[in-house]
Amino acid sequence: MKKIIFILIAGFLSYSAYSQCKGFTKKECVPQIKPFTYNGQLNMAVLSPGDVAELVVTFYKGQDYRLFVCSQDNLGKVEFKLLDSERNTIFYNKDHDYVNYWDFHSNATQQLIVQVRVPPLDEDVAVAPTGCVSILIGFKE
Amino acid sequence: MNRIFSLFLIILVFASCQNKSNNQNEGTDSTNYSKIDTTHTTKVKKIFYNVPSPIEMSSVIQRSGAIFKGDILCSYKNVEKYISQNKQAIMLGVYGADLSYVRLFEQIQLAMNYLTAIKKLCDAIEIPQEQGSKAIQRMEKNIENKDSLLQIISDTYASTDTYLKDNGRGNIATFVLMGGWIESLFIATQIADYDNPSNKEIIERIGEQKFSLSNLIELLKSYPEDKELQSYIPELEKLKKVYEEVNIEYIKGDVKTDPQKKLTTIYSVAKVDFKKETFEKIKTLAKQIRINLIKP
Repeated sequence: MKKIIFILIAGFLSYSAYSQCKGFTKKECVPQIKPFTYNGQLNMAVLSPGDVAELVVTFYKGQDYRLFVCSQDNLGKVEFKLLDSERNTIFYNKDHDYVNYWDFHSNATQQLIVQVRVPPLDEDVAVAPTGCVSILIGFKE
Repeated sequence: MNRIFSLFLIILVFASCQNKSNNQNEGTDSTNYSKIDTTHTTKVKKIFYNVPSPIEMSSVIQRSGAIFKGDILCSYKNVEKYISQNKQAIMLGVYGADLSYVRLFEQIQLAMNYLTAIKKLCDAIEIPQEQGSKAIQRMEKNIENKDSLLQIISDTYASTDTYLKDNGRGNIATFVLMGGWIESLFIATQIADYDNPSNKEIIERIGEQKFSLSNLIELLKSYPEDKELQSYIPELEKLKKVYEEVNIEYIKGDVKTDPQKKLTTIYSVAKVDFKKETFEKIKTLAKQIRINLIKP
């Protein structure tokens, strides 16, 4: 019986989170990437406090890029880092008042990692919020 | 006991559904962030892989001094031959790459023909009117404006990807990306002449696809339940094996951040080096994979 309830609840939870995020990126995030051209790939996840998501992406030589991390307000100040392939930090938004976008120009084509982290929860908060986080990449011709 | 347990779970569900703003964590100290880098394998909840879209690839090709060769493109006249949804998705990517290439050279009539084919495929894949066809109609009105065309192609592909992923059809979106990437690589290898010094940049761009190919394979692997998508992995792995012959020597440079402009510049240098023999192998494999992809 418990098992059935668990399955039903788990299904409902994932459906609820899914519904919560449906359309979020298109409505709230994509319009903000302009004047850069959105690369057209939706990288969206439902995250909870303390969760980390990563995006592996190639930046091409001489191209300008905008990295935009778009999240729901209830998740607090979402952190993001740009790491090189050896996981050295190139940029950390915490050093810039948790800004949600930043532009990059690379003189060489390279594989990079965008690491996004939702801040951990305070101990006195009973229920962990969940929310949608999207990582968008725009480029300029 | 079961009732109490059920009640607890229901409360939990409703609590998790609340969309109420909770900013109690704003002051959270994240001094332990550096730990994430070392323990990321256990903590990372989701990993995404991005592959350059046909538009980005065409932009890279354009800056490399490409020439126009219309005869290498996949014929838009074949659009009706693709019956299965997976093939239609692949062709949406293939025609997107062809259109992005055609756009660079302002081939207006050809662009219109590819547009019409893309419109048919959007309808066949059941991308709603406002997501697909409406954007195409905008494109028809702005066909002569190269920049508008770029924006509209970008909007169309973004809407398609978003719609498919929002509706649990991320595997179909992956077919689109794979079709677009392979067609872009095929075009690049067909227009490049390894021995021509003025083609040095485009040859380098082809070598640099080593990174994107790895991302594409990982992306395909993230849909293990889609057997057809998985069936393309062995061919891509063969291509990856050839790409191992491409040597990319990376010299780290300074990283300079301008807070005023919100811009970080990475002053690194990458030396891409591979032999003509490797180029020919990449060219042959890209052609073979493409033949398989565009087979109705």
